[in-house]
Amino acid sequence: MTHAQVIDKVLANIDKVMIGKRDIAELSLTALLAGGHVLLEDVPGVGKTMMVKALAKSIGASFKRIQFTPDLLPSDVLGVSIYNPREMEFEFRPGPIVGNIVLADEINRTSPKTQAALLESMEESSVTVDGETIRIPQPFFVMATQNPIEYEGTYPLPEAQLDRFLFKLKMGYPKRSEEIEVLSRAEKSVPIDHLETVLTIQELAELQHAVKEVTVDHTIKTYIVDCTSETRTNPHVYLGVSPRGSLALMKSCQAYALIKGRTYVTPDDVKYLAPFVFGHRMILRSEAKYEGITSNEIVDRILTRVSVPIDRVGLK
Amino acid sequence: MKEVRTDMRFLILMYVLAFILLWEWLLPVIELTDTEYIAVFLYFIGISFLFGLLRMRWWLSIPLKLIYLLWSLHYVFFETAILSRETVSLLITDLMSNIGIIAAWNWESITNPFRTVLFFVLLWMTIYLIRHWIEVRKSILLFYAMTVIFIAVLDTFSSYSAEGAIFRIMVSGLLLIGLLTISRISDRHGRKLGTGMFAAFSLPLLFAVVCSSAFASIMPDRGPSWADPVPFLKSVVRGEGLGSGSFVAKSGYDTDDSKLGGAFSQDSTVVFSATVPKKQYWKIETKNTYTSKGWEQQSDESMPVNIDPGSLLAFSGADLHEETEFLHAEINMKQQLPYLVYPYGTSKIHTRTDVVLQNQEETGQFWVMKDGEETELDSFGIDLVEQNYSLKALRATSMDDYALESVDFSEYLQLPEQLPDRVRELALAITGKEESVYEKAKSIERYFARNGFMYDQQNVAVPKGNEDYVDQFLFDTKRGYCDNFSTSMVVMLRASDIPARWVKGFAPGEGKTNSQGKMEYQVTNNEAHSWVEAYIPGFGWMPFEPTIGFSNMTGIEYDLELDMSDPEAPDMEERERPETDRTETPAKNDEDNGIIAFFNKMDKFLRENAWVGFAGLAVILFIAWQVYKHRGRWIPKLLINAYRKRQADWVTYTKQYKGLLKQLDRFGFKRTNSMTLSEYAKTVDTHFGGRRMRMLTEAYERGLYGGYTSHDDWAGLQEMWEDLINRSSC
Repeated sequence: MTHAQVIDKVLANIDKVMIGKRDIAELSLTALLAGGHVLLEDVPGVGKTMMVKALAKSIGASFKRIQFTPDLLPSDVLGVSIYNPREMEFEFRPGPIVGNIVLADEINRTSPKTQAALLESMEESSVTVDGETIRIPQPFFVMATQNPIEYEGTYPLPEAQLDRFLFKLKMGYPKRSEEIEVLSRAEKSVPIDHLETVLTIQELAELQHAVKEVTVDHTIKTYIVDCTSETRTNPHVYLGVSPRGSLALMKSCQAYALIKGRTYVTPDDVKYLAPFVFGHRMILRSEAKYEGITSNEIVDRILTRVSVPIDRVGLK
Repeated sequence: MKEVRTDMRFLILMYVLAFILLWEWLLPVIELTDTEYIAVFLYFIGISFLFGLLRMRWWLSIPLKLIYLLWSLHYVFFETAILSRETVSLLITDLMSNIGIIAAWNWESITNPFRTVLFFVLLWMTIYLIRHWIEVRKSILLFYAMTVIFIAVLDTFSSYSAEGAIFRIMVSGLLLIGLLTISRISDRHGRKLGTGMFAAFSLPLLFAVVCSSAFASIMPDRGPSWADPVPFLKSVVRGEGLGSGSFVAKSGYDTDDSKLGGAFSQDSTVVFSATVPKKQYWKIETKNTYTSKGWEQQSDESMPVNIDPGSLLAFSGADLHEETEFLHAEINMKQQLPYLVYPYGTSKIHTRTDVVLQNQEETGQFWVMKDGEETELDSFGIDLVEQNYSLKALRATSMDDYALESVDFSEYLQLPEQLPDRVRELALAITGKEESVYEKAKSIERYFARNGFMYDQQNVAVPKGNEDYVDQFLFDTKRGYCDNFSTSMVVMLRASDIPARWVKGFAPGEGKTNSQGKMEYQVTNNEAHSWVEAYIPGFGWMPFEPTIGFSNMTGIEYDLELDMSDPEAPDMEERERPETDRTETPAKNDEDNGIIAFFNKMDKFLRENAWVGFAGLAVILFIAWQVYKHRGRWIPKLLINAYRKRQADWVTYTKQYKGLLKQLDRFGFKRTNSMTLSEYAKTVDTHFGGRRMRMLTEAYERGLYGGYTSHDDWAGLQEMWEDLINRSSC
């Protein structure tokens, strides 16, 4: 079975429970394959949890969920060492972060201390408690959500830390017909319960390895860097995308190309993924915010300005 | 100006009207500066507007205009063969000397070819502005106002009469402004007027223009209510100059030249008019003795010779035979002169039959006797042959040749004893480098224009006490008019042992086409002139023109290139070459001559049939334009045929694909730079149906971005490619 067929099976599986959210499924899988994490910014009830659950179930991975609240402590996330009287020693009890697929719900509700603990373990793929470091088993994929409509009692994530997330996505409401379909499917039973595992963790690791083999031509690298440097010179942008952003874009392009059954990245991949990668990595000037210009609009403008390389002529 | 699209017919009308306005600018300039070649400039304006209309790209139109500019320069100024080494070197020398002149802020000394180049550049810029005004701004009021002011000022202050011009300007200018306004208003409201609507809107405008111009021409002309401001302005401007009367003021032709120097006062009284096909220098007499203050004729006056009117003159110089074609000049005297004026090459003088002509051979004076008394003629005719000298032969002259001449040159080598040595030294420094007599004389003639001398009729010094007229001019003042230049040249020629004499007469004057369609030159007292004759061994007396701003009329045949193949020709380079090379040289020369001869023939043909040339050029340009315009139709066929023969591989395929992109662009699918190929392919497929473009693009992207340069089915791709490119031919 080729990589494309395997991936198609996973996506088809997710489609069974998630209606009309093929793009989000693809993007989540892209992030998973590229070894990155996703920040979902959306209102409750649009299926965020369902998406993560379906993904976890499809690949036979363990699924953990952390509901962030203001009184949540880092140890509630990472785990604690408890004294075991029988063994006469401290025993580490891993927290919910030690899992394959973790849903971190409403992370902007908890204190910066706890946020930092989460973000650090995401970055390092390890947990350090009482001087003891425990590696989190692979695959490790965090899907954090953040509610954009409530500001009371929230601790917005510092923008500089947002680039721990590969993508920032918005789910959006389903279409009318899609919503009706959601109702029909849930009429008799809960679809997620019947979902089968179609991909082993072993196979997933192979896919993650295959992503690294996807060709990124010199023209494409040039194009990515052109886009990135445009964000740094844009008059509306206070802080542009860092080289880490360029790297993130390239890696996600590789993963996305694999999902699309290609072994090479095209400019279309770059154009498609750039808004998700760049959107949360730029800090806009306050003037731009007052004018109501969003970062996605700026990314769109940049993409309509940077020339797509269509041959090797004139390449530096 | 590319984005602006307007109705073609409308644009053509606008350009024609603008052309008329620009023409009105040219007419007075041409007339006042006495330029003969108005057509050259008109064609330039014409082709510039035409290129604009055809939306020719800059990389095509600029070279074409430059070629035309070079050709015009060559046509007007150089007698040499087109593209010959001689022309190129002339052009380059001219350019270099002018750069020097400009660097010295010596604007008055710019040579005529360079002046013409500058004028062309000015026209070019003006045309560009006009196009901008018409197509982008859609407002030409500024240009119109400037035209009216320009013509009005010229009419008031110069001899140009703008009676017809102001009428033509009014009609074409008002139409231009009005029509542009309609177009501008329709633009502002974002709608395009149909032809019918446009005509309807234009009707009141047309009515107003026709009525007002008709009224203007019918209404009686009332005299000016203000006094003519010109005399007043002139008196203000000249007020100071008139006060200081200590100078020797000179005007017109004068027999006494013993005291030269001082201001030359303007006097535009017409002395005579001459109907003659080409410009001529009008000679009256020569003088032989320089006194360090001026000129006198000193010699034992030999007896004048009697000449029957209409008989062939002995000294005409040119070897005449029966087929010799004469140019005919008809001279009408308005003021009486003591001697006849005659051009170079005069062979026969026709007068009324009851008089006898007398000729003083030494001074070249002619006068008329009737019944033993001097009389004057109102008109007379002259047959002349054009003087042509071979440059090659001229350059072969040597100082030793004077020994072979049987003439006594002592009076033409006379110099005053008190002539300062530095004049002689300068003369030798100038001529020392040259070998031939002709080149020596030429180097002196050129000297003034290249060494900061100024032409000035007002502030000219008079030598006092022991001062020498020539020395003063050459080393102190460097400012003067013809007498200064010509006297200095004669003195320097004599100092270099070249026999020379001073010539007096008139410059060609202002030419106009008269009622019979012939060129008629009005020669006024302002044209009184002096120049130089040097004796060139084997050629005789030859005129030279050292005065800045005047050009020598001597016909020099630039025959150097053509004589390369002549085995007799003294060719130093050839002689020095080693023996082995000799065998190859003739062949190369033949080839060179073939090309040069071809261009010469073309050039001659074009000179004689300028209209054919221009029509041919227009046809060629039109065909080229049509071919270019419909390239979308024939390029696909060409590409298909070309690529069927090629081997199907990645390299070929990239070329094919890019060719297809260009063709689709011509068809109307514009790809912006930020559009990816697959996005583009989608829009193309939506139009043509199917997935061909997407499949072709995928193959291209696989190769370009993925490095997969092999493909299973080149033939299939080729088929799809042919299909698409055929469908997109337009």
